Amino acid sequence: MAERGSPPGWDFNPSSWSQRLPIIGLALLGFGIATYLALFQLGIITTVWEPFFGDGSRVILTSRISHILPIPDAALGALGYLADAVTGAIGGRARWRTMPWIVIIFGLAVGPLGAVSIMLVIFQPVLFDAWCTLCLASAVISVAMIGPAMDEVLASLQHIRWAQLRGRSLWHAFWGVGV
Amino acid sequence: MWARVASILLGIWLMAAPAILGYGEPANSNDRIVGPIAATFAAIALWEVTSPIRWMNLPLGLWEILAPMILGYNDLAAILNSFAVGAALALLAAVRQQRTQRFAGGWSALWRPKLLEEHQPAGDDTIAEPDEERKVSAARK
Repeated sequence: MAERGSPPGWDFNPSSWSQRLPIIGLALLGFGIATYLALFQLGIITTVWEPFFGDGSRVILTSRISHILPIPDAALGALGYLADAVTGAIGGRARWRTMPWIVIIFGLAVGPLGAVSIMLVIFQPVLFDAWCTLCLASAVISVAMIGPAMDEVLASLQHIRWAQLRGRSLWHAFWGVGV
Repeated sequence: MWARVASILLGIWLMAAPAILGYGEPANSNDRIVGPIAATFAAIALWEVTSPIRWMNLPLGLWEILAPMILGYNDLAAILNSFAVGAALALLAAVRQQRTQRFAGGWSALWRPKLLEEHQPAGDDTIAEPDEERKVSAARK
């Protein structure tokens, strides 16, 4: 039996709070970790927690690559997680059809952030031969968010596609006009 | 489920293997690149709606089997590890996820209008398509 408010042909509603809150929670956890690492990179705190890899975290967090942009990479990560949490929280239980635009921005924020995290994990040992516990934890969080976020994106894309097939405006469906 | 978990563990193993088995370049860098990517694909494929992502580990597994020849490994442990992990990743990619939920035809419904239409509630306006096509789809039901 399908849950009330589910997209047509779905057994559950991907925009329900029980689906979204765990992702928002993960994003906030990632935000906390990334903020802590950014504070170290900005010199506001002078030591960084590293239980397993000796000097690894320091090597990674002070590397050339981590400071290639105007702001340290962990600060960028923190902003990314914040964007995930905010776009995950905006809108009600029907947002897969009332606000497809926010669902798609949410999907884009979660997907590419996960990809960048994995890239950074790859750079760590290959370029510097060092590992960083909290950077790895952050990558795990990013990756864990991708799968559960995509069901909502699919529901919104199906909704937009169906509106288009019925000869309605794709533009209106995207912005949720007239729902 | 078990196949995805096993693939994640294989990916993590590839990240740690150079240190544990003590092999150097080029196997070292290759496995530290392939490992996290394979683990990521498997982790995304854990969820039913993104399960097709599991197939990304088929080319990755095949690459691990070919890498010793193409990159010229000379460490026996690295070569055997690459063969074994590669074969396992490729085989696990083909293990199907048990389906417990419906997603109105999934991702392929986005480019197959009929599939999407099948899942719309009765009474909703149907696709603006030629009558003949509609008859065919009605006859099939």
